[in-house]
Amino acid sequence: MALYNFKKIMVVPTSKEFIDITLSKTQRKTPTVVHKHYQIHRIRHFYMRKVKFTQQNYHDRLSQILTDFPKLDDIHPFYADLMNVLYDKDHYKLALGQINIAKNLIDNVSKDYVRLMKYGDSLYRCKQLKRAALGRMCTIMKRQKQSLEYLEQVRQHLSRLPTIDPNTRTLLLCGYPNVGKSSFINKVTRADVEVQPYAFTTKSLFVGHMDYKYLRWQVVDTPGILDHPLEERNTIEMQAITALAHLRSAVLYVMDVSEQCGQTLEQQLELFNNIRPLFANKPLLIVANKCDVKKISELTEEDQACDKLLAHRVDGKMKGKKVHDVLNRLHLAVPAKRDEKARPPFIPEGARIGRKTMEVDAPKRKTERDLEVEMGDDYILDLQKYWDLMNQDEKYDVIPEIWEGHNIADYIDPDIMKNLEDLEKEEELKVKAGEYETDEESEDEEMQEIRQLAKQIREKRKLKIVCSKDKDVHGPRLPRTVKKVERKTLEKEMGDLGLDMTGKDDSHYAVNARRSRSVGVAKKRKREASVVPTSRTRSQSASRPPRDQSGVRDPKMAKQAKKLMKNQQKDMNRQGKKGEADRHVFDLKPKHLFSGKRKSGTNDHR
Amino acid sequence: MRIEKCYFCSGPVYPGHGTMFVRNDCKTFRFCKSKCLKNFKKKRNPRKTRWTKAFRKASGKELTVDNCLEFEKRRNVAVKYQRELWSKTVEAMRKVEGIKRKRQAQFIFNRLKKGKQLEKEEAISEVKKNIHLIKAPHAKPRLWRRRWCRSYKMWKWVMISKSLLGLC
Repeated sequence: MALYNFKKIMVVPTSKEFIDITLSKTQRKTPTVVHKHYQIHRIRHFYMRKVKFTQQNYHDRLSQILTDFPKLDDIHPFYADLMNVLYDKDHYKLALGQINIAKNLIDNVSKDYVRLMKYGDSLYRCKQLKRAALGRMCTIMKRQKQSLEYLEQVRQHLSRLPTIDPNTRTLLLCGYPNVGKSSFINKVTRADVEVQPYAFTTKSLFVGHMDYKYLRWQVVDTPGILDHPLEERNTIEMQAITALAHLRSAVLYVMDVSEQCGQTLEQQLELFNNIRPLFANKPLLIVANKCDVKKISELTEEDQACDKLLAHRVDGKMKGKKVHDVLNRLHLAVPAKRDEKARPPFIPEGARIGRKTMEVDAPKRKTERDLEVEMGDDYILDLQKYWDLMNQDEKYDVIPEIWEGHNIADYIDPDIMKNLEDLEKEEELKVKAGEYETDEESEDEEMQEIRQLAKQIREKRKLKIVCSKDKDVHGPRLPRTVKKVERKTLEKEMGDLGLDMTGKDDSHYAVNARRSRSVGVAKKRKREASVVPTSRTRSQSASRPPRDQSGVRDPKMAKQAKKLMKNQQKDMNRQGKKGEADRHVFDLKPKHLFSGKRKSGTNDHR
Repeated sequence: MRIEKCYFCSGPVYPGHGTMFVRNDCKTFRFCKSKCLKNFKKKRNPRKTRWTKAFRKASGKELTVDNCLEFEKRRNVAVKYQRELWSKTVEAMRKVEGIKRKRQAQFIFNRLKKGKQLEKEEAISEVKKNIHLIKAPHAKPRLWRRRWCRSYKMWKWVMISKSLLGLC
């Protein structure tokens, strides 16, 4: 688990970069426009936002750094020790501690300045406060330069560590430098470790993987160990020691039989004895290498090592507590026998027969396919032969489905004949009771007459309504009595109503009609200019003279008056006016007066 | 192959006609024409849409409960084919159909009888009230009668000839 995270640690920026990033982010992500004349709370909010935003950014990034870097107490002791060896535990913890302090300081700064900003009363003051706050935060970060650099280097190195799983099956190769550990791992796995004639070619741990008995095995190659006490060991050797100490693996102590590494067998044995305490609880194998130079069989050692480790691991597991937990939960339940009756499992007859036929290979019944093959072209799929009907000879009947818009299937009923009989009986009874008799009394003449009369009445009424609607009189109407009634229409109408209108010449309406005709309207006569009009219609009284004669002394004056009148009318006539009072303007906005440019002059003309 | 009923108008949906709508609760609705489908989509209640059979039955305009209507019923029990049963069924169907039609017609006739009565009464009252439109109160009866009879006979002759020609 821990090793997975080493590659996922976020990049730690340098302090300068850190400051740049955060400040530019503040610049971009917060509003930038503020004016003096804004309301003070708006100005304050604007600057407070900036301070808080910067603080938030710093806080987030630093927290992420702190969480990303592994805590030495939380990871596997192998890794903890390895990191201690490589990076110095104290320095590491110190660096992270400094980062944490910086984070807290920045938070405090922001809190203080936000509090102060509440009392800022002008844009200038708020701005200065914000500037001060941001400045302080940035100087805090500047002081973290060293820690950040150190952490960045740690991160880079960590991500390049080989992924050694401390819990899986491992083979650990150790021994003097240059004995052939790396060559061995190259041969056995796909790892490509550098092999050189000089000592300490391998400076750190390397991992390879191989397969044996369908399982994956880790093979860990270590830098060589020299024979001196623990305190004097350098970093490289310490790595090997750490690996030896923490990884639960099979140890392969490689010895160079040919003494090509530069140490004698005795010296190698010395080393072996010295680091023997590290081999406690681990299956150990001594590998005699480079036996082509000096012959001792070596091949079997590999297999034995793996088997030994496997057995060791299984023993370890069985003895462990976990197995007991699992065993306790397993329990095979068997129903208790209640009597001596044997109750074997139930297998249905069909299945049993099926199984038997499968085994015995009995002759199967003829399938349709066989038939088809037999008959060739003549073959017709005839499923009706399998039908199971009451009378077998009805199989090939054409079954009717629909009759006159009804589904026959809806009527099918074994009792239908009985029901039909009942229905017919019912029908007979009904007919007898006279339900179907149309008591349409043939109407007598009188009724027919009445109907005809009613019809006529309705027609007449409709006609009258239509006539009255046709008149289409809008506005005030003349009373009926003013209109002159024609004798003909009157006599016709009354005649239709059944009154005798013949010989009505002496009736009062006829007499009145004649009388009114004699009182005629005065005929229009052509007036001569010299003659003063003297004739008057009988309808006018003699005392009132006509308008064009009243106040006129003699014909000469009359003539003059007439001339005046005509002159005055000339203008009006020319303009097409009806009279003096006609002030109607036909075209309020004539186009020629309202369009075009006005060069000089008025709008009367353009 | 069967003739289904339209959900909306209760008319017959012949095979190859109409549409079917399947709702999310697996209820199917068949429609004989797009008119019914459109009305359904508008969420109209067939029991309130006057031209549908559902309305007519629900408002008592047509025969609803009768023995002859019990013959046509969807049965969920399959009966194996027997020739004589099928042929007898077809015969029975014919007879039942005849009786059914008679009864339905009678039902409607009975329903409309009252209207005829009302019509008669209305004609009588009309004549009583508005006779003055075609006959003056003190008209000479014989004269009027002659005039009127002429027009009446004309009308009667027209009606008879219409019925003879089968136009009524």
